[in-house]
Formats: sequence, structure tokens, C-alpha cells
Amino acid sequence: MASVTLEGITKRYEDVTAVDDMTLEIEDGEFVTFVGPSGCGKSTTMETIAGLTLPTEGTIEIGGRDVTDLPPKDRGISMVFQNIALFPHMDVYDNISFGLRLRKYDQEEVDRRVEEAADIVQLEGMMDRMPKEMSGGQRQRVAIARAIVRNPDAFLMDEPLANLDAELRVHMRTQLQRLHRELDTTIIYVTHDQAQAMTMSDRIAVINGGVLQQVAPPLECYNEPANRFVAGFIGSPAMNFIEGEVVDDGFESQYTRIDFDPAAHGVTPGQEVTVGIRPEDVFLERDSRKAASPTKAFDAVVDVIEPMGKEVNAYLLFDRDVEASAEGRGEGQLLINLAPDTEIGEDDDVRIVMDRENVHLFDRASGNAITHSLE
Amino acid sequence: MSADRAADEPADAPDEVDPTVEMADQAGLDEPDLDRGIVEAWAAKMISNPDRAYRATFYVATIFFLVTTLFPFYWLFVIAVTPRNALSTTGVLTPGGTPRVDVDLPLIDAALSVPVGIGEINLASFAQIFTTLPFHRYIFNSFLIATVATVAVLLVGSLAGYVFGRLRFRGRNAMLLLVLVTSFFPPAAFFIPLNRLFNTNVDVLRPLISAGSLYNTPYAIFIPLSAIFLPLSIFILMTFYSQIPDGLEDAARVEGTTRIGALFRVIVPLSAPGVATAGVLTFISVYNEYFFSSLMTDGQPGNWAPMLEGILRFQGEFEVLYNLMAAASIVAVLPVAILVVVAQEKIVSGLTTGAVKE
Repeated sequence: MASVTLEGITKRYEDVTAVDDMTLEIEDGEFVTFVGPSGCGKSTTMETIAGLTLPTEGTIEIGGRDVTDLPPKDRGISMVFQNIALFPHMDVYDNISFGLRLRKYDQEEVDRRVEEAADIVQLEGMMDRMPKEMSGGQRQRVAIARAIVRNPDAFLMDEPLANLDAELRVHMRTQLQRLHRELDTTIIYVTHDQAQAMTMSDRIAVINGGVLQQVAPPLECYNEPANRFVAGFIGSPAMNFIEGEVVDDGFESQYTRIDFDPAAHGVTPGQEVTVGIRPEDVFLERDSRKAASPTKAFDAVVDVIEPMGKEVNAYLLFDRDVEASAEGRGEGQLLINLAPDTEIGEDDDVRIVMDRENVHLFDRASGNAITHSLE
Repeated sequence: MSADRAADEPADAPDEVDPTVEMADQAGLDEPDLDRGIVEAWAAKMISNPDRAYRATFYVATIFFLVTTLFPFYWLFVIAVTPRNALSTTGVLTPGGTPRVDVDLPLIDAALSVPVGIGEINLASFAQIFTTLPFHRYIFNSFLIATVATVAVLLVGSLAGYVFGRLRFRGRNAMLLLVLVTSFFPPAAFFIPLNRLFNTNVDVLRPLISAGSLYNTPYAIFIPLSAIFLPLSIFILMTFYSQIPDGLEDAARVEGTTRIGALFRVIVPLSAPGVATAGVLTFISVYNEYFFSSLMTDGQPGNWAPMLEGILRFQGEFEVLYNLMAAASIVAVLPVAILVVVAQEKIVSGLTTGAVKE
């Protein structure tokens, strides 16, 4: 059990900067998730914490001890890998006890600890199986047992659920949360799946292009994203963005207008901004009482409807002339969440309102958040 | 079956049959009375049933290779069991001294000597090779040199194979090429400098080696041979080590090994077939090597002369004991043969471990 501190960690490969000046403090017992798109540097960051790669600059402390130059084995960490990485030539017992035997624990102690770890992940009676004879979920549990058996100061988990099928992934997710509660150890978890990040973590560290974007509890990342990238990455389906400009009495884009007082929100007329609005904060005009503070209504056309069961996702176009973009949501397109019983059909003309309380404003040039509510 | 066809194929081709059968049928119709010869009938059978032809070819080829590889051993055995005074009458297939009868061939003016009965079989030569000379000592010398060379080559080759196979660094390809280039030189090119070097007295070696020079020591053979056979092993091991997933090495290092620990605890065991291949090749090459083996010692068994020297020792000034040389050759092959059989089982088991219950 220990805190983990990154101080100005930078990792450069020849001409690519994988991690750029990352400073982060992870408290003792905290569950922190590194989340970001593929190639954003989250795995590299974790490898520098594990000691598998050395940072170009910066220092790493685990439990107050500078470990920057220590080999992985002396850092007091254990790791669960994306490809599970069980030793194929060893049975379950040998896999779990590998680290203990290397550290020359006596046989009784090894047996006791292996049994305890196997008990936690429910692997009793499988000690002499080979990894190849086990299912994906069982192998993952062996990998976790191997990680917890040494009682490390911190766990590093690099996309441990990525190779499992969807059902098992959800199941293992709750198992990991339970494990964290039982062990109360610092866990650093890497994933590209924002749903895993949201559900499991105490805090999320959103990384893009090797740069830390925001470190905050999941709901804060969701409700008060620090910049446009975080806003777009956290939450599914993703936030809608509307490019426009601040005018004297509000925001104006090609298709929309939102009235507000620019001065009250620290923007000046003429400033180029992006409005962000989550699908669940847009309503049909006839439901506008659901919005705490509805904006003026504007016209749209229903393009595609996706009934999800508990809700309906409707893709709208602000104008019939707008061409639906093949890559994600383009300008002039809007995704909204509707109640499952909403009567709506494709190609319908609708009028919609946004909930002013949940309209985010981002500076277009820097992408930084200006405000998270226009109230 | 017919329902399937009707569904799968257009309606206008319902009567299509196997083309080869059709051909045979047509041949039968066109030439009803043709009396085929044996060869023609056999050829027709092969065409209509090509699997038979393939099987026949397989057996022919297999038997050919078996005969060409095993006949020399049989020939050695025939000579080995021939009594010394009958060596001059050794036949192609029979030991010397086999009683023969001349049979006159009809029409041509020639006689064929046909073996009848069995002559004296002299198995004693297999014992004589150990009494005439301490041949077991020669074999032991060779075995030891080959074993030490194999261990050294696998150890150094593993480290080099790890570096070349798993690490990315500047100059990697250039260095790999350099390793390859060393194996381009004919070993004879190294001989004179090495021989002079090994005959030089080096004072620091005096406490280790009585004469102070490497000549007449096992080192004089296994050092150059290890170096010569190292590049091949590096290439074999490099290929195998590069295929072990990075995650396994990372896992081992996080669990508590160094890089070298991960190499020998995880990467090498998982590359068992490759290690076995490289090891067997090195062992056989060193064990059988002629050039350095015959020149780096004075041929005395006590001076670590290898097995090859032992075989050559049966060739005296006035006579050549072919039967003993043959017996010694057969005995000398046994350790290698046993090793290959054992290693082959390991290779196969290495490849199939855990694959059964997949």
C-alpha cells in the first residue's frame, strides 16, 4: 500500500514524444484509471511506472521512495497484462507462486499465500491445470492471483479485460471493484474504454497525445470536462458539438441560437467558441418542461432512429440540405436521447430545445472549457 | 445426395459425373476390344486413381533415401565383422570369407560367384578396438569437447539471440551481418594463426595448464569450434526468441526476475524446440569435426585427442586394420545417435505440450 507520484514524466522515442511532462499524484489506496484513445501514451506511462521502460525525464516515487532507476522487480508493484501473460510452461500453482519462489519464501509461506490468493479469485482446485486448459476468464483470474499474491504496494493493470468477451468483461469489472474494496491497495488501471473508467475508478486521468487532459472523479469529468477532448471522450454516446461565434446577446451558429449574457460567462462578442451539449440534455419542444432551463426552440429533421430499449437515440439534421457525415457526427448533425415511448419517425420535422443548465462552452482555438452551464 | 445436387447445380447438368470415370467409360466404349498390355492397364489405373500413384512415388522415394543413408552403415558393419585375414574377399553385401560358388552364366562367357552359407563372423573386433587402443578414452574426449562446446554455444548464443531477437537498437542489422560474415570464412583460414597462438606459451595459463600452451588441451579444439558454429546457433535462437510475446518477459520482470532471469526462466523454456535444434546441430558438428580435431593435438588419448584420431590410429605403418576402423566408426556413431533420438522426443514434446486439451 503506497502512494504513487509522477513528477514531470516525459518519454521520447527518437522523434515521437509518447508521454509529455506528466505530473500526477495517486493517493494510497486509490483506484485511478488512465483513459484515452489508442496510442495516447497511457500504456507507456504505465510501463514507466512499472519500470519496463525508463522515462527520458522525470521521477517516479512509490510510497515516498524514488524508484526511477530501480528495475521492475524492486519497485514493489505487480501487474496484470492485456494479453494476460501467464507462463504457458507452468501450471497455475507455479504461475501464481513464481514471484514468491524467486524471492525465496519458504515453502509453507508460499503455499499459504497461494491458497489465500486463489481463494480470493475463486480458483480452488485448479492448481495443477496448465494455462492452455483454462478459459479466458479463468486465466485472467490466475493473472490477478499472481498479482495479488505478493502483496504489492500498487497494482498496475494494463487493459486486463480487453481480451475477454463482453459478458465476462462486465462480470470481471465488478469482481475487480470488489477486489479493490477487499484489498484496499492502490490500483492504476489503463483502458481505452471510457465505460470501464467511469464505473470503476475513484479518479480518472484522461490522456491524449501524451498529455494529461484532466484528472478528476468520473462524474466531474462527465459534468465538468476540462476541455473539448475530455467532453467528447467521456460519455457514451458522445457529446454534441456545435461550432459558432459569440454575439452580443448569446451564441450563434449556422443553424442555432442560444441567448445568454456573454459578459456573465467571461466571453466576448466575436469570440469563436464551440457549444457542447450531451444527447440527454436536448429535448423535443413538446417535452421542454423536462429541461430545467430550456433554450429557444429550433428546427431539425429526424435522420436515423436507434431504439435502445430503455431509451431512443435519434440522429437529427438541422436542415434537410445537411449531408450526414460518414465519419462521426459532422457539423449540422445532432444526437439526442429520448424516452422509449416517444412517438417519432424518421424524416419527421421536429422542434428541439436544449437545457441551458447543461450547455458547455469551449474556446475553439484552445479547446479549453469556458463554462459548464449557461444559467 | 441427388437432392443436394439438384439444389446446387443448374437443371441442365443433372447427369454430370466424375470426369475421370467418364473418360474411362468413353475409352471402354470407343475401343471395346482393345487388349491392353500390363503397363497400359497400370497407367490407366494410376490416372483414374492418382492417390495410388502418389503413394507409390512416396514409397519409392522413401526406400531410395533409406537405402542411400543406411547402406554405408550396413557396409561398415559388414567390414567390421569380417575377420582380418578375409578382408580382401569382402563382397558388396557379404562379409569376407563367405563361401562362394561360381555359377557359369549361359550365353555369355562369364561366371557369377554366388554366396552359399555363412562364413566366420568376427564380432571380436568390437572388443578389440578397446584393447588395441583405449578407444573409449578417445570417445570420452570427443564427447566432453562436444558437450562443453554445446553448452558454451547455447549460453553465448542465447544471450546474443536475445539481444538480436528482442531488442531494438541502432546498428543491430550491421552487427548481425558481422556475425554472419564470420561464418563465411573457411575454417582452414583460421588454422595457422590459431595453431601458432595455441602453441605459444602463455605464462598466465601455467597454473591451469601444465605446459602453459593450449596445444594438446581440449580448449584447443572446443574454443575454435564453438566460435565457428556459434553464428548458426545465434540465428536459430534469435528466430525463436523473437517470437515469444513481450508480455511474458515483462511479466517475469515485474514478478521479480532480471532481464537475464526472464531469458532463462521463461524465454528459453518456451523456445525448447529451437534450443534443442541448435544444441543438437552444434553437438553433432563438433563431435564429427575433422580439421581442427586432427590438428590441434598430437593424437595421444591422454592429450585429449578426439574420437577421429582414435579411428585413424588403427591405420599403422605396415597395415590398415579396416575391420577395426569400421567397428570403431560404428561405436563412435552411437552417442550421437542416442542423443538425436532423445532430443527428438524433446523437440516433439516441446511442440505439443498443452496442445492436446486445447
